[in-house]
Amino acid sequence: MVAPAALRVVRCGGSTLHGARAVFSADSKYLLCASGDFVKMYSVATEETLRLMGGHADLVTGVQLNPHNHMQLYSSSLDGSIKLWDFMDGIPIKTFTVGSKLLALYALASSEDSVFVVIPKSGERDTFQLVSVKLTKAAGQDLEARELSVVLDGVDASPKCIAFGREVYSPFGGEYVASVKEVNLQVYFFKQKQLNRFSVSAVKTKSGNNRFTCIACHPTEDCIATGHADGKIRLWRNFHHKKEYTFSTLHWHHDTVMDLAFSMEGTNLLSGGVESVLVLWHNESDCERDFLPRLGSAIEYISMSSDGTLCCTLHTDNRITIINSNLRFSKSIQGLIKSTDVKTGLVVDPRTKALVLNGEPGHLQFYCLQSDQQLFSLDIVQRQYIHQAGLNQADLVKVAFSAQGKWLATVEEREEVTDPELQLKLWFYDEETQSFKLNTRINMPHEDHITDMCFRDMDELEDDSLILVTAGRDCVFKVWVMVEDTDPEAQQSVSWSCDFVGSYHNYQATNCCFSEDGSLLAVSFEETVTVWDSVTWDLKCTFCHPPGKIRNICFGRLTCSKYLIGATDYGFLCCWNLLSCALEWSAHLNILVLQPDPLSEYIAAVSWLSKESSLFVFKPNEPRPIYIQRNLCKEKIQLAAFVPRDEPEMIGSEKYLWLRRSQLFFLTDTQELMTLSTKSLEERLTPSSKQLAVEESLPVTPFSLLLGKHRRQQSQEDIDLGKLVVRNKHEQDSPAVKELLHTPAHVLPSASFLCPIFINSLLISKENKSAEEVADEVEMESEKTEDDSDEERDVTEMEQEDTSPMELLGEITCKLSKSQERELRKIRKMDYSWISAF
Amino acid sequence: MAAAACGGEAAAAARALCAFSPRDRRFFAISSSDGRLRVWETANSRLQHEYVPSAHLSAACTCLAWAPPGGRPPPSKDGPQRKKRKSEVAEVDKQLDILAVGTAVGSILLYSTVKGELQSKLDGGHDNRVNCVRWHQDNCCLYSCSEDKHIVEWNAQTCKVKCMVDVDFEIMLINTVFSISSSFSLCTKNLHPNSSKWKGDNSSVTSLCISPDGKMLLSAGRTIKLWDLETKEVYRHFTGHATSVSSLMFTTVKPMNENKPFDGITGLYFLSGAIHDRLLSVWQIRSDRKEKNAVMSFTVTDEPTFIDLTVSEVKEEPVKLAVVCRDGQLHLFEHILNGYCKKPLTSNCTIQIATPGNDGDSTPKPVPILAAAFCADKQSLLLVYGNTLQPIIEKVSLNTTESHICLIRDIQKVLSLKTDVALTKVKTPVVNSDTKVLVPGIPGHSTAVKTPSSGKEKKKNKRKPGEAEESIEERLEALDIDVSKVKTPGGLPQTDSFAVLLVQGLESNDAEILNRVLNTRKENVIKNTVARMPIHAVIPLLHELTKRLQGNPYSASLMVRWLKSVFTLHASYLSTLPDLIPQLGMLYQLMESRVKTLQKLSRLHGRLFILVTQVAASETVQDVAEVNQTAKLVYEDDSSEEEGSDDEMIADKDSDENWDEDEEKEEQSDEQDMTVEKEINGDSDLEPENESEEE
Repeated sequence: MVAPAALRVVRCGGSTLHGARAVFSADSKYLLCASGDFVKMYSVATEETLRLMGGHADLVTGVQLNPHNHMQLYSSSLDGSIKLWDFMDGIPIKTFTVGSKLLALYALASSEDSVFVVIPKSGERDTFQLVSVKLTKAAGQDLEARELSVVLDGVDASPKCIAFGREVYSPFGGEYVASVKEVNLQVYFFKQKQLNRFSVSAVKTKSGNNRFTCIACHPTEDCIATGHADGKIRLWRNFHHKKEYTFSTLHWHHDTVMDLAFSMEGTNLLSGGVESVLVLWHNESDCERDFLPRLGSAIEYISMSSDGTLCCTLHTDNRITIINSNLRFSKSIQGLIKSTDVKTGLVVDPRTKALVLNGEPGHLQFYCLQSDQQLFSLDIVQRQYIHQAGLNQADLVKVAFSAQGKWLATVEEREEVTDPELQLKLWFYDEETQSFKLNTRINMPHEDHITDMCFRDMDELEDDSLILVTAGRDCVFKVWVMVEDTDPEAQQSVSWSCDFVGSYHNYQATNCCFSEDGSLLAVSFEETVTVWDSVTWDLKCTFCHPPGKIRNICFGRLTCSKYLIGATDYGFLCCWNLLSCALEWSAHLNILVLQPDPLSEYIAAVSWLSKESSLFVFKPNEPRPIYIQRNLCKEKIQLAAFVPRDEPEMIGSEKYLWLRRSQLFFLTDTQELMTLSTKSLEERLTPSSKQLAVEESLPVTPFSLLLGKHRRQQSQEDIDLGKLVVRNKHEQDSPAVKELLHTPAHVLPSASFLCPIFINSLLISKENKSAEEVADEVEMESEKTEDDSDEERDVTEMEQEDTSPMELLGEITCKLSKSQERELRKIRKMDYSWISAF
Repeated sequence: MAAAACGGEAAAAARALCAFSPRDRRFFAISSSDGRLRVWETANSRLQHEYVPSAHLSAACTCLAWAPPGGRPPPSKDGPQRKKRKSEVAEVDKQLDILAVGTAVGSILLYSTVKGELQSKLDGGHDNRVNCVRWHQDNCCLYSCSEDKHIVEWNAQTCKVKCMVDVDFEIMLINTVFSISSSFSLCTKNLHPNSSKWKGDNSSVTSLCISPDGKMLLSAGRTIKLWDLETKEVYRHFTGHATSVSSLMFTTVKPMNENKPFDGITGLYFLSGAIHDRLLSVWQIRSDRKEKNAVMSFTVTDEPTFIDLTVSEVKEEPVKLAVVCRDGQLHLFEHILNGYCKKPLTSNCTIQIATPGNDGDSTPKPVPILAAAFCADKQSLLLVYGNTLQPIIEKVSLNTTESHICLIRDIQKVLSLKTDVALTKVKTPVVNSDTKVLVPGIPGHSTAVKTPSSGKEKKKNKRKPGEAEESIEERLEALDIDVSKVKTPGGLPQTDSFAVLLVQGLESNDAEILNRVLNTRKENVIKNTVARMPIHAVIPLLHELTKRLQGNPYSASLMVRWLKSVFTLHASYLSTLPDLIPQLGMLYQLMESRVKTLQKLSRLHGRLFILVTQVAASETVQDVAEVNQTAKLVYEDDSSEEEGSDDEMIADKDSDENWDEDEEKEEQSDEQDMTVEKEINGDSDLEPENESEEE
């Protein structure tokens, strides 16, 4: 804080991606989704993050494309503001401050200048209402949007519980909004200002009750699909009538339906739930369905691209899966996978320099810090994970790498009623096949939970004297060593076996760690730290600092290797001198995390005091911390890790010398990964904005040339036709036609008299033209194009003569095409006398 | 001319069409022979994406170049609202994501690897194959050279030809190579009328390199020229290569002797490699224009296809050079560039890769290395090997103490047939059947129970003499029994032959016989067999039983019956053994782990059971003796057997007393002994419970 370049806490991954439904850009090339306080833009083709739009002060709760401009994006946040972005450039255009928490955002094409948001009802807790917010068109970036009008009251806070239907014009009903809460469905028709309420009778069964969980509206028909907590999907029709409504039921999910989405045409319905299976229902029938199973984890949101070619599912573990329309995996965007509990801690893989922690259940994720992407996930448990609540399934609890990454030790645990089922696996990295290979599997290495595990980290002794220590709640610690296999039948030359079992007064072993040179092992037994000789396994000495059990221990490194640091849960940080076996110093701090830097003598300790985390960095040989950062973050910090830098960073200030060799990362309770950065804001921001802006100058391919020409022509025609049709409508009420149509038949003059008048009225005199003519003109045009080619020239000349007076008239907006002119001329020249013959 | 053109083509072909993304080497782009451009992630050798240019068959890719990181100064679009923010996200150090791809028809494609789409196409510069593309490190300029003898400077932002200079003076230049002034005067002619491209050579230009300060450009056909980029004039010539130069690289950024003022180029070294040439030459740019030859050279085994080097910034730091040759070998050089060196240098280290070749075909096959790059720490190397369709990327830490390293890699197992973008990133580690499995009770799961500390041993030793006598007696008895049993012919009762069989089986370690005996279920048979078996066979039997108990639970349930009867009948004998604890430690641990639940109850049950059986035995002792006697009497005059059983009974009583004594003693002794005591008790206690469990 003193130095000009203060350290700043910087997030580097793992924010929740499932704050809101993701949206595809109009061309389906990009995917926009909320990620914590930011909106992220991903490229669908490469899974890379293209833009990161920050500015909200709280979680982003809604992301919607601006229906009137497909290059713009609305985002809403809990901080009470709606922002309008130009997402291609990542620039905020406008900020509308609403004032209260915004829980969901909906933007409709039909509502010109307003969006719909869900806000908590003032004065009442847990009651929410859907309001429409008028977005003022005033100039300026920061605007107030106070014009709220309540649409629906008593809605659910979840954005999945409201859906808008029939945005296009329809004869009945028209636009409506449907909302579900508990067992009630309410549909509000905008045009009629009518509110219909329906409810299902609350039934509680074993698999949960039948309350509503999500809703989706059919894009073209009057049909609402609702998902229920018992796994059923109901399709509601005829809900214009309060009594005669109907619904049909689709049932496949065995647990809560998490989200529903209709395909763009409305023929298919997609549904997903905790089973992590995406179900595609064809034509709303119960038997025709397709599945895409094994999506990894529960589906939170489903969204479709506007062209219907892609759909994307957001999962509870912060993964985005992009799926083709034919239910095939296309891409998967996975940052830091969120697991239920990070029991393994943060471990750095020496081989890939990736951060290793719990990923999917039973997997280890290797997370690349540089690219904020998962490198790969290693399936350690190798048992199929069944997505069902209440099942105890094996998961990883401890991980340790040997110094060079040659050996990996994993502990998996399955909670049983009486005893946990434990397995310790030792994996060897096989260079030949470039993968880990199971060397030894030990069932029940301890009789109770394993509390800690560590390798003896010695680079030079990697091969023969590798030692693994596990500490268990069964009051012992075990030392595992590699032994040569004597059995000639065994293919492996080495395997692991237990060498020593140590205990201390029947106390539970809680932590273990080796000194830097590997000669001493410290094991903490509840309140006592015991130090063992790693050769003879004799108990050398014990340290104790009552009251309070030992939470963390670690040895000092390099110049401070004679110190042992321990943190107790009564809020003491103690440093013992191993040479004098005496307490060197202690400090009163409630330390949660104690993390030594493997490359220097610095130790980082994170404390948790009065609802905020603080960081202390110290050297064991002096009790004064080198660096203190108060208020690191509001969340509790769960874990920390020093990750060695590739090359030592040049740090000017002496205060931050401890960051030279390694970088410190923390994981918070909400599983957000943070780090400390010395770089100033500008420096950090530059790389992304530095991107070379290459102009898109693509040559047109022959096909696109052809297509483009065709399209242009067509659109031109469309415009022409449109104008004519409009005019044609206007023509209907010309006096002649009116006369003809409205005069009673018996008073009408003879047809021969009427015809010229009628025909004349239909003719376009210079600026007007009838619809009939246009119709057959289009037909004739195609027939005549060939033989007209020679006429073309003189016609164009004539046209030039003709058009000039027309332009002089000024009122003509529509320019007639050459062929149309030609037609017109022909018609004029035609003799209509034959009609009178009738 | 035609030969020159061929040379250019060959030069381009000699270069592997691959490139690492700059700085952090996160991506590796490679263009395979089918015209597809694939971008691989280096950290996990995963295909990131694949791009097929629309004209990939007609206009094949000929060269690749990643744009350097940090193209232009950032536009100041940081609004004031950005200033107050709680905590900003760590920006991923996004590299400039543009990849320039030169094609055989002269166009250059700019491909965005982040967006996964073609960004733009640079046309109108070349009308023949593009041989080399280089990005300028600071401004967004792109330089390309082509078979059509021209070098073109592009503005990558507008995708327009910025400068294309035509050097028609070349023929004259040959005559005036050494007269710089005249060449300068001629240089004005170099400029093309529209001043947009320049002719680089009289034959095709095959390679380019931009100087570290960005003001000079090296180009090479056969002769290497140094151009001033501002004036587009030739500054220096370097001749020496007989064939087209395929690679050019600056090896230093600063001159080594700092005493002279540095003008940005003088004193720098650069490296060149040519096709069909097994020498890499190093040149120095000197202020005096005399030195025209290479200052030194490196020998490699074949023509170089991919070169990477670490640029040394301080004088003492050696330049590390990794050269991948056409024959698939990698040569590493480490040299402090310091002036002239006559002898060609040989490599410090050669790396080869081969398949293990143990299954199927016995001959290991070499695996070609495609490319190599130094990691940021300069201590490890990224190796790319395998085929171009699916290369494998591996990080190898450098160990230059050995001069030749052969890495054995089983690429067949790594290779998968499909080359699509992998959908899941899940890797399944190998789990073989040859994995060692340790379950509780198996040696190695816990520490072996060692003989207790010396004090205890001494105590035991005190008792030893007597025991030793006993054991001799027993041995004699056993001998007798053996003799008697051998004597007996085939028509014996079941139990007797079982005992014989068992002893035979244990002695010969014949699994078949043992199976036959041990798989019996009849309680009586087991009891009698155990009763009749010689005492010396007890320990081998126990070992055999322990081994079998570790097997499947079904056989364990059979073995437990045997164990039970062994312990009830031979408890006395066992308790006299001095080395009982280490001998039966494993069995004890096994029992312990099997009967972990309700431990105390099962112990109580065990004690009671033994008590009851002892009482019962003492009551029916006469019966047993009788049975034995009758059995013996029928066939042979076997007094020894009688004695044996009597002995057993006595021993039993003795042992009971001993046991008590033991316990008393041990209670006084230290806690370690306590545990040992428990173990002894445990052995005998636990087996009944075990049985009941299985039942």
